[in-house]
Amino acid sequence: MGFEQDYKGLQDYYEARRLNTRIHVIQVLFGAVLVLYLFAFWYLQIVKVDYYRRLSDNNRLRRVTIMPLRGVITDAEHRVLANNRVAFNVRLDREKVTDMKTFFPRLAGILEMPESTLRDRIARYRGRPVFEPVVLKEDVDLAEAAYIESRRLELRGLSVEVESRRNYLYGPLAAHALGYVGEVSEDQIKTDPSGEYELGEIVGKDGVERQYDEDLKGDKGWKQVVVNSLGREIQEIEAGRKPDPGRALRLSLDLDLQRALEAAYADEAGSAVFLDPASGAILAIISRPAYDPNVFAHRFSQDIWGGLVNDPRRPLQNRVSMSKFAPGSVFKIVMSIAALEDGIATPARGDHCTGTWRFGEKVYQCWAVRKGGHGYLTMREAIIQSCNIYFYHLGNDMGIDRISKWAHRFGFGEPTGVDLPHEESGTVPDPDWKRRTVLRDPIWHPGETISVSIGQGALEVTPIQMAMFAAAIGNGGTLYRPHLLLSREVREGIEEDERQDHVIRRVELRPRTLEVIRDAMWGVVNEDGTGGRAKIAGRDICAKTGTAQVFRASRDIDADKLPKDKRDHAWFVGFAPKDNPRIAWAVFVQNGGHGGTTAAPIARAVLERFFQKLDSRQGVQQLASVAVPQ
Amino acid sequence: MPAWRSLNNFDWILFLAILATCSIGLAVIYSATTGTPSAGAFHRQMIWLGMGLILLFLALVIDYHTLAEFSYAFYGIGLLFLALTLVFGRVVNASKSWLGAGGVQFQPSEIAKAATILMLAAYMGRERVRGLGVVHFAAICLIIGLPVLLIMRQPDLGTAVTFAPLFAGVVFIGGIRVRTLLILGLIATLALPMAWGHLKPYQKERVKTFLEPTRDPKGSGYQLIQSLIAVGSGGLLGKGFLAGTQGQLQFLPEQHTDFVFAVLAEERGFIGAMLALGLYFVIIYRCIATARAARDRLGVFLAIGVVCVFAGQALLNIGVVVGLLPTTGVPLPLMSYGGSSLASTLLGMGLVLNVWMRRLVN
Repeated sequence: MGFEQDYKGLQDYYEARRLNTRIHVIQVLFGAVLVLYLFAFWYLQIVKVDYYRRLSDNNRLRRVTIMPLRGVITDAEHRVLANNRVAFNVRLDREKVTDMKTFFPRLAGILEMPESTLRDRIARYRGRPVFEPVVLKEDVDLAEAAYIESRRLELRGLSVEVESRRNYLYGPLAAHALGYVGEVSEDQIKTDPSGEYELGEIVGKDGVERQYDEDLKGDKGWKQVVVNSLGREIQEIEAGRKPDPGRALRLSLDLDLQRALEAAYADEAGSAVFLDPASGAILAIISRPAYDPNVFAHRFSQDIWGGLVNDPRRPLQNRVSMSKFAPGSVFKIVMSIAALEDGIATPARGDHCTGTWRFGEKVYQCWAVRKGGHGYLTMREAIIQSCNIYFYHLGNDMGIDRISKWAHRFGFGEPTGVDLPHEESGTVPDPDWKRRTVLRDPIWHPGETISVSIGQGALEVTPIQMAMFAAAIGNGGTLYRPHLLLSREVREGIEEDERQDHVIRRVELRPRTLEVIRDAMWGVVNEDGTGGRAKIAGRDICAKTGTAQVFRASRDIDADKLPKDKRDHAWFVGFAPKDNPRIAWAVFVQNGGHGGTTAAPIARAVLERFFQKLDSRQGVQQLASVAVPQ
Repeated sequence: MPAWRSLNNFDWILFLAILATCSIGLAVIYSATTGTPSAGAFHRQMIWLGMGLILLFLALVIDYHTLAEFSYAFYGIGLLFLALTLVFGRVVNASKSWLGAGGVQFQPSEIAKAATILMLAAYMGRERVRGLGVVHFAAICLIIGLPVLLIMRQPDLGTAVTFAPLFAGVVFIGGIRVRTLLILGLIATLALPMAWGHLKPYQKERVKTFLEPTRDPKGSGYQLIQSLIAVGSGGLLGKGFLAGTQGQLQFLPEQHTDFVFAVLAEERGFIGAMLALGLYFVIIYRCIATARAARDRLGVFLAIGVVCVFAGQALLNIGVVVGLLPTTGVPLPLMSYGGSSLASTLLGMGLVLNVWMRRLVN
């Protein structure tokens, strides 16, 4: 041994031996640790290999759901109303951010957003699993998306995700009918029995989008991918299943009529619906005030959403099917039909209007009270002039049960079944109804019958019920369920017509009754009646105006002098042309004053467009029929 | 110079084991950095390996007795560099441990490590006494304490920790008395709670995480868990070169530096890990054999100093990879990416080869 030479003598010999022993101790120590490590590797790599393989696979393999494209919605002429477009979202993978403090200011600078907003958005995901990315900024343009992609290395965890977004081509046009889409709520996920919903999935929330969500949403696909620690897809290892796109829906709406209606409606509040009296197909539909359904496609529309929900004008309410109002004088048509059919009166029944009628303790007025009443009228004249006194007497003679029976027959007091969510039934009052619902005063007073006779009192109808009723008068008594869906795509490019029978029921009416009523309604528009402003030469428009009282004293005061929210609601309900009608409608203007003043011009604008299109189509057909024999 | 004559006594086994370990290290660095922002690491490490081998040969051709004569100078230069680092150093990961000269960046702490080993050996080599007296003990504390204090000022706890095995090794081999050991142990036990109070929050976090890795799986436990997954999922034969998902997909942090052994274990499996572990075993045992065969105390302490630093780092690093020790940030000598560490380790190995080559008095 070498170093022993350094030591001289016995003492040094022992010291050298001790040194040798100590070196030996170190050698054994290191050797023991290495052997311990050998067992550690053996345990990890041989004994627990399956466990760690699984963890490793969980790390890198992810099953990714592929969302299908939502079905396109078109009008009857295949013009697209709602489709999908590409949107870029900026996402943050929270797992990759180590130091939030220094990260936020940089992030705020790059995204050009206030730090507080970013913090709020991240805070909303506090309860969610940390691997779930947070969407920080939605719908950025291509330039910003490219810029953020280029700075990925600098800002670990930030990425740009491509998403399909619902796109309503005409913004607020027919907003309430089309509805809107949004992220499925956590409640919906929990309560859905199929368990198919996933967090962040887009579903129809209102209108057609909600009604036909099953068709529109399509079937989800999936794939298995390898991801790196940034969560970025490296490779697809299993194709899984391709998503099935949602079915395209063709609605009965006519974009041209719809545009004419939107333009004519201007800034008024209210609603209108135009439909085909031969089928119940809705041609144009509007509810105002409206909203732009595109804003709901954003996640961060809370402010806008809150604004719409809390807006006192209630823009989210579909006033076609979700709002009910007194029908006013339009109800005189129901009264007349009931009287004629049940033999209470003949068309020749005459009455004298002096402007007022005392019944019991109360004095009932006609709207013509200031000019001393209408004088002597027959039923036709009473409808044209919309005389109240005539119908007070008629109602008193008929009794509430008959009135209620006929109102129900024409579909009032029950939902029409229109393919829109949350339809309201309205109210047709009678003694039985009052006993059940008005507990503080359950007795039916004879005066209430008088109020109902001119469409006031507790009587309430929806505009869609009114349109269905108008269509039934036009088509001879058949109630067709109003509907928006015309056909749906079954396979790429192949449509399946809705072969459903939309008939709710046929109300048996004598031809003579129909003739009298139609003739009177024709007179309303064409013979110096209340609806003269809707007259279009040669089109034989038949209609009835109505005014639903909002403010008691309105009968004595000029409508123009009242504040807008105290003014009466205006109705204009009808069909055209008189023989073989092609269109029926109900136009309702909230606080619109008299029906003939505000509602009739709106209907007229749409009808002009309708007949213009009808003529050009028939022109083409005539040309074709001329061409064939040659 | 008798150097060329001594080549007959050259320790080829140790030298080849070092070369083999470095080659495996290079291959793993290549695999761990391909397609990542650190992709240039492989080429840089090759250059450092070349420079390190030159240092190795310089350290073995000059008689270690001659080198020991200049140990004060080397030690002084080492301390000077550390002081300069504190002033001019570049800040990386919140610690000032890099010094730049021209285009080359290096860690003075690695130079200081080699200089300290030489200084200690020179000191211990001169003292031919039975047992380790208080004066000796104080001298050892001073020699090691100066660079450690400067390194902790950077602060680079990981590198400072690597001086601990050097201290322990020299004190033990020097022949510390059992009584002294017990008193020191008592003082250390009392000082430990105080030291805990001086640790940085992230350092405390590491110790806590080690004691309970699942405590914070996304925070400081992340490295540990990912490392265990990498090693365990490697299995017997490994996932293959460039095919380790933990490393290639960057789930494993610091995959080419502190966790390079985990990448090796993942891609080459138990077989590969055992081969590398075997090479470290051979290197450590050849160094210890050199210590035993050394012809004087200087040679003994030189070899012991080198092997304690080397084995200490290697065992600490691999212990972290298999989850037996808390994360310290100590690189694996000869395999981890990092030029200064590689060059300094090869320099130390040169000294050991030097001692072996001159073990026989001619």
